[in-house]
Amino acid sequence: MPESIIRFDHVSMAFPGVLANDDISLEIRRGEVFALVGENGAGKSTLMNILYGIYEPTEGEVYIRGERVTEHTPRAAIAAGVGMVHQHFKLVPSFTVAQNIVLSREPRRAGIFFDDRKAMALTRELCEEYGLQVDPEAEVRDLGVGEQQRVEILKALYRGADILILDEPTAVLTPQETDELFAVLRRIVREKNMTVILITHKLYEVMAISDRVGILRQGKLVGVEETKNVTQASLASLMVGREVLFDRLEREGTPGESAIVVEHLFVSDSRGLPAVRGVSLSVRAGEVLGIAAIEGNGQSELLEAVCGLRKPDSGKVLVCGADVTGRDPGAVRGAGLAHIPEDRLRTGVSEEASISDNLLTGRQRDKRFLRFGFHLKADAVRQYTKELYERYDVRSGGIETPAGDMSGGNLQKIVVAREFSFDTPALVIAQPTRGVDIGASEFIHERIMEKRNHGCAILLSSADLDEVLRLSDRIITLYEGAVTGEFEAGAVTREQLGYYMTGDRTQEAANET
Amino acid sequence: MKRKNISYLISLSVSIVLALAIGALVLALTGYSPARAYGEMLRGTFSNARHIGDTLEYAMVLCICALACIVGAKAGIFNVGGEGQLLLGAIVAAQIGVVLKGHSAWLAIPCAILGAMAMGAAYAFIPGILKVKLKVSEVITTIMLNTVAVYICQYLAKGPWKNPNNNIVAGTGNLPKAFWLGKLTPGSNLSTGIFLSAAVAFFVWYVLKKTAAGYEIRLTGQNPRFAFFAGMKTDRIVLLSMLVSGAMCGLVGMLRVYGAEHIFKSSVSNDYYFEGLMVAMIARYEPVTAIAMSLLFAVLKIGAAGMELNAKVPNQIYLIIQTLVIFFMAAEGGVRSAIARRLEARRKAKEVRANA
Amino acid sequence: MRELWSLLKTVISPGTFNQMLRSATPVALAAMGGALTEHAGIMNIGMDGMILLGAFVGVIGSYLTASAGLGVLAAVGLGVLVGLLFALFVVKLRSDEFIIGCALNTFAAGATAYLSRAIFGLSGTSGHHVTSLPRLHLNFLNHIPFLGKILNHHSVFVYVTWILVLLMWLFVYKTPWGFWLRASGEQPETLRTAGVSPERMQWLASILCGVFCGLAGAHLSLGYLNGTFTENMSNSRGFIAFACVIFSAANPSKAYLAALMFGFFDALGYRLQGVISSDLTATIPYLITVVMMVYVVVRSRRRRKKNLRQHESLGNLS
Repeated sequence: MPESIIRFDHVSMAFPGVLANDDISLEIRRGEVFALVGENGAGKSTLMNILYGIYEPTEGEVYIRGERVTEHTPRAAIAAGVGMVHQHFKLVPSFTVAQNIVLSREPRRAGIFFDDRKAMALTRELCEEYGLQVDPEAEVRDLGVGEQQRVEILKALYRGADILILDEPTAVLTPQETDELFAVLRRIVREKNMTVILITHKLYEVMAISDRVGILRQGKLVGVEETKNVTQASLASLMVGREVLFDRLEREGTPGESAIVVEHLFVSDSRGLPAVRGVSLSVRAGEVLGIAAIEGNGQSELLEAVCGLRKPDSGKVLVCGADVTGRDPGAVRGAGLAHIPEDRLRTGVSEEASISDNLLTGRQRDKRFLRFGFHLKADAVRQYTKELYERYDVRSGGIETPAGDMSGGNLQKIVVAREFSFDTPALVIAQPTRGVDIGASEFIHERIMEKRNHGCAILLSSADLDEVLRLSDRIITLYEGAVTGEFEAGAVTREQLGYYMTGDRTQEAANET
Repeated sequence: MKRKNISYLISLSVSIVLALAIGALVLALTGYSPARAYGEMLRGTFSNARHIGDTLEYAMVLCICALACIVGAKAGIFNVGGEGQLLLGAIVAAQIGVVLKGHSAWLAIPCAILGAMAMGAAYAFIPGILKVKLKVSEVITTIMLNTVAVYICQYLAKGPWKNPNNNIVAGTGNLPKAFWLGKLTPGSNLSTGIFLSAAVAFFVWYVLKKTAAGYEIRLTGQNPRFAFFAGMKTDRIVLLSMLVSGAMCGLVGMLRVYGAEHIFKSSVSNDYYFEGLMVAMIARYEPVTAIAMSLLFAVLKIGAAGMELNAKVPNQIYLIIQTLVIFFMAAEGGVRSAIARRLEARRKAKEVRANA
Repeated sequence: MRELWSLLKTVISPGTFNQMLRSATPVALAAMGGALTEHAGIMNIGMDGMILLGAFVGVIGSYLTASAGLGVLAAVGLGVLVGLLFALFVVKLRSDEFIIGCALNTFAAGATAYLSRAIFGLSGTSGHHVTSLPRLHLNFLNHIPFLGKILNHHSVFVYVTWILVLLMWLFVYKTPWGFWLRASGEQPETLRTAGVSPERMQWLASILCGVFCGLAGAHLSLGYLNGTFTENMSNSRGFIAFACVIFSAANPSKAYLAALMFGFFDALGYRLQGVISSDLTATIPYLITVVMMVYVVVRSRRRRKKNLRQHESLGNLS
């Protein structure tokens, strides 16, 4: 039995409205690469933030090297030899590499002066010892993401970490950089007997580097396996989906004309790196086209570009025949497309405004609510929003409640109610039921199907594969910003989809089965 | 909604009472009788028509300044440059009056109003466009531009626009009597300008609260990404709000010249916009509350002048009291959110235990 | 041509630069404090009030003890208190720093004017004896042409400021605490995960800012104006200091240069009276500050774009 270095003992972590970690017990061994997989919101980062002392678990205990953790601060975690490389790097952009690495443990001269030369020397030593190349004198803001990540790793090593947590380290890396990173990780595990915990949702990475893998789903640990005993497909089926079986949804009608057409679209992400690479698709009236992809494969950028929230680099977007490429959301809406955004708090509502105000948005210039062309008729608005509020079965303290006070499910109903009320011929729906309870999810699914049956063209994306399978007529898989496959929804299994979602590296494997 | 208003009223009243109490303590410590001072303060405000007139005039100035700040703040742009816009508006209005001497007041006054508002808006355009296009902090640029405006006005009032017949160091020509706004109470600064101000105040309240445009301004300020997502032209809304805010400040300047001072000189505004800004903040950017707070501050200020005259107490005690109210309100907000954070943590812990 | 030459001679005379140094010093002292709060991520527009309070308390201290040194000490003591109060609101209670700064300015204007009238009467300190700070007359400087005239016969704080600017520069850029201070404003969470509380650095910055503004005030009343207090005597110097901080990106030595620039245009205004309006020359530094802000944004955009292109081409090569 290999030596256990970290033990979670019935750990739970609650945030307002969410149980992010639900009674997790897990042991991690010295000298292994342990992969933690799960969809967004499954609780991977939360669990690791507990280990790093950023959160104090609401229930349960954590043991490091057999010692119970009593002080939940990063400082204590660092002292216990835990280092963490966050998804969003925690570096000071205007400092040099060396200055970032030694922050809070600076070498000093005469007791009061920061010894820059020594910091450089220490950094160079570390670089050589671990084989990580980076210029100690460069300012961090001038570095690429791959280099910044190396700085983060060096920082953890400088602080004496022998347990290294990496939170989705490859999300921002090119394939070459990923290979380099993995080489470094293998080396430090082999030569220095370090322990590496890797948070990821890229399954081929799990296969490529880890010794064991733990799977989280909706805050629960649903399995811990030796990596050699699993396949990507078996992991994918454990990762996604819910345990509840829904009834079948009624489908009527035949598809009509194409209402959403995307041609050779290229889109960059917020950092300017290519995210969507030449996607073409078309959605016909009365059909749901589902996008199956693992988080971070370009589906968010694709949908944002279709809806006008993000300017594409090249390619074309047509809504009901009108070219809306690069136009603002107002123009796209005018062409006949409504949109349920994936991040409802940031994009889908105004938390400060009342439910009524949130339901009205986009209709404030409707003739029926206006007198003299500018006066909003309060009664008409109230009547309208109240009716919508009731029709969508929103449960809260009434239409004057601020949206920020509501639960995720009710808030999503508000967004759905508003966007569906426009009766547009085309709809883009992202993550329709993320963070939404089962009852509300079922309700939203039924409304989506109703829209489809009334002849609406729907482009849907969800991190929940079961949801995609249930709602879609056709499904395309996206991998690294490109379409890897297209299927009729009835003629494909989740395992098959899993192969295509994990990229062309495994397509032969899929064909063999 | 209702509960929030009540708790606001309670904390405001407590803040005012505390500030008055500390003010009394300061008075006593510096050798004045608090009872006499506060008594004279009330008398100074309400004893005769002139004082009431001055109080209303000052309340009007504060109120329009506060509303100007609110128009911007609601859209998510914070206009700190009202003082500069006000001064430039005032000097432009004054000069229009000088140039149009001999013409009908029906021509001069509308020209002055439009000129002052256009000037204020133009001066607000610079920080507005820098914010919208380049995301340059409007707070800092407007602070810088305030000082620039002060100097420009001084330059104009000493140089090109100076009236040689005036024996003050810096001032434009005297406004022809024909253009003076009618006085409502003899001897006071209160003029018919208050009707225009009331109309503007009503207009702002009405637009913000009752119209589709106000709705769009509000949502843009609350969550610009959401407003953009919902199809609004957010950049244009932010910029327009800034221009309206600037135009209102320019108007205040015009009213100060045509209603009260009848000349441009430095006493046209003594950081009045900053006091209006504080009114807006204490009123949490609510127009109606801001109107009420303007009256309160005006009572304090004009009352303090009367107090100084009759009880020989330095009038600046009103500034102490006024800022103490602000400090207490700020502290109350901070303390309350600290308590809310703690309660939330406790509730969370309980929930987990219940779930486990 | 001859006229231009004589004009140039008036401008580039020791008198101009002497005056520049005089005007710059109170602003520079406050800007040192403002640089600290700026690095700690606090937008401090309350410096004007802090200066005014320092000026008043300095005069009161000197008046009561007949010692200018004790007056300065009193101003520093009050600076600590004001800094604590500012941090209490801005750091601890998380109130809007803008509201607090605004209120602090108005409070200082009101409180100092009220107390001045209560203590000295309507005419202020004139007629009361307040011991002022000494001037330094350094004989050896007289032997240096031009420069000697600029540097000599100033109030002590003009010289003390040089030392303080050097110390602050060392503190901010050469000591670990300076690194923590800068990190506390730029990336507070990074500092926290490194085990240092960013709030503690913000408290420290606020208190030191109070001290510096107190010094600036004491110098203004006891040195610059030889022991007088007049209402609103800070005369927007706090805002000029703020402009210096923005202009210099909170680098203490650059902030001192920025203060010299403001001082230069101030002196220029006096020198060129009758040629150009001093009011117009006074606007120049403010306009330069705005242009600087725009330039900083444009530059950082360009820098990001350049970096991106570089990394992309590197990625394609490998």
